[in-house]
Amino acid sequence: MDVELAKPFVKAAMDVIGTMAFITPRAGKPFVKKNTIATGDVTGLVGLTGDGKRGSVSISFQKTCAVAMVKNMLGDDIQDIMQDVKDAVGEITNMISGQARAGLAEKGLVLQGSTPTVIMGDNHSITHIAKSPIMAIPFETDQGNFTIEFCFE
Amino acid sequence: MATLEGFRTKDFLEQITILNDIAGGKDPQFLPALVDLFENPTGDTGVDYMVVGALNAVLGTNEATVVQGLASKSHPFRTLCIRTAGEYAFASAAEPLERMAASETDTDLLVEILASLAKIRPAGGAAVFRAFLEHPDTMLAAMAMEMAGVYADPLALPALMDTIGGASAEGRFETCDITTWKAIDALATIGTEESLGFLVRCVHHKNPTARRIITDALVRLGEATLPYLEPVYIHGETDDRILACNIAGFIGLRKGADALVRAFDSGCFTDPNVRYAAFEALGRIGTLKGLVCLVDGLEEDDELILMAVVTGLERHAAPGVLKTIAERIRAGSENSPRITKAIVASRALRLFQELYTDETVGAALMDALRKSQDQDILDAFAHRLEQMGTDRSRDDAASLPKIKATTRKALAADDSKSMLALYRNILTDLGFEPLLAANGQEAYAFVESGEFVDVVITDMNMPIMDGVELVGKLRGALGYEDVPILMVTTESENSQRDVATKAGVTHFITKPFKPAAIKTTLRQMLGLPLPS
Repeated sequence: MDVELAKPFVKAAMDVIGTMAFITPRAGKPFVKKNTIATGDVTGLVGLTGDGKRGSVSISFQKTCAVAMVKNMLGDDIQDIMQDVKDAVGEITNMISGQARAGLAEKGLVLQGSTPTVIMGDNHSITHIAKSPIMAIPFETDQGNFTIEFCFE
Repeated sequence: MATLEGFRTKDFLEQITILNDIAGGKDPQFLPALVDLFENPTGDTGVDYMVVGALNAVLGTNEATVVQGLASKSHPFRTLCIRTAGEYAFASAAEPLERMAASETDTDLLVEILASLAKIRPAGGAAVFRAFLEHPDTMLAAMAMEMAGVYADPLALPALMDTIGGASAEGRFETCDITTWKAIDALATIGTEESLGFLVRCVHHKNPTARRIITDALVRLGEATLPYLEPVYIHGETDDRILACNIAGFIGLRKGADALVRAFDSGCFTDPNVRYAAFEALGRIGTLKGLVCLVDGLEEDDELILMAVVTGLERHAAPGVLKTIAERIRAGSENSPRITKAIVASRALRLFQELYTDETVGAALMDALRKSQDQDILDAFAHRLEQMGTDRSRDDAASLPKIKATTRKALAADDSKSMLALYRNILTDLGFEPLLAANGQEAYAFVESGEFVDVVITDMNMPIMDGVELVGKLRGALGYEDVPILMVTTESENSQRDVATKAGVTHFITKPFKPAAIKTTLRQMLGLPLPS
């Protein structure tokens, strides 16, 4: 049941971004993506396998939101904003994936997560390789938006 | 023997060894100490995770404790028990979980409770899920819908149908909620006459994503869908008939082809777009009756329909088929040049190779080929002629014209192979080098790889990325802000055109059209002189 799988990721995203980056995201209404492409300025992506299934979860941030997270996490100690954004998004994606998978493991659903990949570039797009529809959950923050996309089959 | 006495003072290695032993032995005597460790964690994330693992393993052998734990005052332990009850499908947990589902208001906990019940799947559990079908929390409603499908709950049908119907309401059809997706899948899983009949009636749903999910679901059901398509051929609106034909083609079963042929025979398919879709579907399925019908299609005078017919016949180039095509070409009737043109334009190399062996037919085909303005097509046929390796074929290959290279490019996106072949034809005639894509995503890939085009032609409904979204993305791409975009559509609803106009479409043309009409439109859009 993909809703049951998606929910922990949503919860983990809210937790991690709230605790680590001191930004409170407000979840919007989930919807089905029209295509398999995720668009954003910075995207963290993890592949998941286990329980006879495979899939991917991506978190795509608007630039303003990603930069705000870095500033909140590192304070004034920003050396190289590009590198720091990349590291921060990678780290946050990893934490979200880890926390969500720990929650799922409690239900006996053990998933392996890949090392996160970070894609940067204004308004880039990435493609989930999936036949089943992709669920997207939009989030708003005062510093910009981000979207979690989830596909599992 | 593992012991949890003085656990907190032990070092990491000892701690995880003990927890591992407990998880393996599952001895209930450790429960109280484990629960204590769970409720008052050690603070070491690694150890705390293993505590959860060990506790979960021990609880797995203690149904009674888990059921008791469902009433625990400790929120984390209660959640763990809810999850464990589901994981091990403890039947006696169903009743208390059902009661919790009825009274709980916290949506996170409700998701846990419903997920657990979904795994236990108690007899008569459908009612619990039914109560959440219209829950304001989308995730909960979506879960309830999945389970309505699993339980094949007939009482859930009205709510599921309402969800799908409501999704096409004015102002709501631009995004597809996950409840719409789950409701469609649930109706498909329930699979009764009522649910499938409803899905087929919704086949031309206003929401493009929902429409694709419905199509996919009906194709997946295969044979079970077929009986519901036939009434659409007879009574459906034009767009419904087209989609029904597509679905029958994708399902690819003989029965589907038989029904299409019956519909042809009883005169249901008079609209050229429907005929086109039906021929395309028959080509995909390829039964004997279907081939006979396709061969009859050689009488069609519409260039586009003929291309669908030829593309279908190309897939099943049986000797009988070849003989008939050769006769039609040799007959020198009004339609003969149209057929040869269609063979060239749809790049039917197999048909060409077989038909070419007859000299008269071969000469007619060569006439059509020499008229082509498309270097790719000329190259493909020249290559085939070379491969055939006879003196005649080599001479013919050498006689083909060389088109001088064009610098202007045009992009065409359509999921129908024959439509693409037609665009290729039209665009090369106008002196463009055509870039062809089977969907919006492929089209956009050209743009991303740095291609620049002077004009774009796109279909509205395509899989993976539809036309409207492609246009939106193109308008956001550097250098594409003002490129003329022509959208080809069969849609009649104005609301859909509004969405497309907002996305940035310059001009629309409605199918069916004569190739000349689209050429004129393109010339006007590009400010080119119209032929006198």
